[in-house]
Amino acid sequence: MSIYKLHYFNFRGRGELARLVFAAAGQTFEDIRYERNEWPSNKSKMPLGQMPVLEFNGTQLPQSITVARFLAKQFQLAGKDNLEQAKVDAVVDTIADLIVKYSPARWEPDETKKKELLKKFFAEDLDKHLQDLDVLRKLYGDGGPFFVGNHLTLADLYFYNTGQNLLQMDENSLNNYPWLKQNREEVEKQPKIAEYIKNRPDMPY
Amino acid sequence: MSTYKLYYFNVRGRGEVARLIFAAADQKYEDIRYEREEWVSHKSEMPLGQMPVLEYNGVKLPQSAAINRFLANQFHLAGKDNFDQAKVDAVVDTINDMISKYRPIRMEQDEAKQKELTKTFLADELPKHLQNLEGLGKLYGSGGSFFVGNNLTWADLYFYDIAQHILELDENIFNNYPWLKENRQQVEKQPKIAEYLKNRPKTSH
Repeated sequence: MSIYKLHYFNFRGRGELARLVFAAAGQTFEDIRYERNEWPSNKSKMPLGQMPVLEFNGTQLPQSITVARFLAKQFQLAGKDNLEQAKVDAVVDTIADLIVKYSPARWEPDETKKKELLKKFFAEDLDKHLQDLDVLRKLYGDGGPFFVGNHLTLADLYFYNTGQNLLQMDENSLNNYPWLKQNREEVEKQPKIAEYIKNRPDMPY
Repeated sequence: MSTYKLYYFNVRGRGEVARLIFAAADQKYEDIRYEREEWVSHKSEMPLGQMPVLEYNGVKLPQSAAINRFLANQFHLAGKDNFDQAKVDAVVDTINDMISKYRPIRMEQDEAKQKELTKTFLADELPKHLQNLEGLGKLYGSGGSFFVGNNLTWADLYFYDIAQHILELDENIFNNYPWLKENRQQVEKQPKIAEYLKNRPKTSH
């Protein structure tokens, strides 16, 4: 019986980061995926009525980034000491700020309004966020291809996943940021990650 | 000997939790507070042009959550192992979910609109967040008054700080949430916290 069970929907969304951490670590886990119609009858079983939820040795843990950080720490992908972990957290928080900024546009149901919001985001907001990430990798990255220290951490996995969403909205969005582009390539070159990406269900989000 | 400098505005805002952690740990640090007019000349010194920033042994760290977690880890206020630390993080994220719904309302300039939005927030939004927090306290709190295990962690300090903003909207709000009320009372009873609360600058927010 797995000591790790991940409960989430059958798409990438807020669950994929945890799945990437498991993959990078080569750690087996129960990848429980709910279809939308299965969710209502299971909602009340989750501590906050939301997913993802990690079940670790029978105890439930909500909140997607908390889950991902816990797993990263378990598998030495969080940073080698308190300060490195803090640098990783700073990058993670900065990626989260980017996601908060593009989300209204990404999920806007009205097609015309969505086009307008996306245009505005890419013209006015994206650069500041990507520049911030560039600043942090220069500050913490030791000159290598990873955000912190000279090794893969949660920060790289999070940017990998987020970058996929950005590129889906605008395939040219990283063209002015060669280091960020290269960083994503380093992530998908990792053998266990490459294997995972090749085999995972292909979902639109 | 390690040196800590905290750079923030002369308000509680996003800097106060760090100050509470330093106080709880009885740790010396430089509490640098910029007035708004001073900030302009210092903005470019900060990695992301924002505050708070922690300078630890000369290394600058942005992002309040990353700072708070680092300090908590340094002073053993983060949880006793990876999983307890994850429980603390889950509580913190849940407090964030609550306050992120309120921040836009606070920024609303139109007084009449703000009154209306506040009313809606208190009636329709806030209760489920407080219920969620009580739920986590009961799930992780080992039957005591602190959110995780039987010890003070930064989750309690964070809730203490954010709750002060909520109390300004409705001073009776926690009468319906006895566990949360007791939790705050336990925090302010801690001698080093009580001392800090008595002596800290009184600011508008």
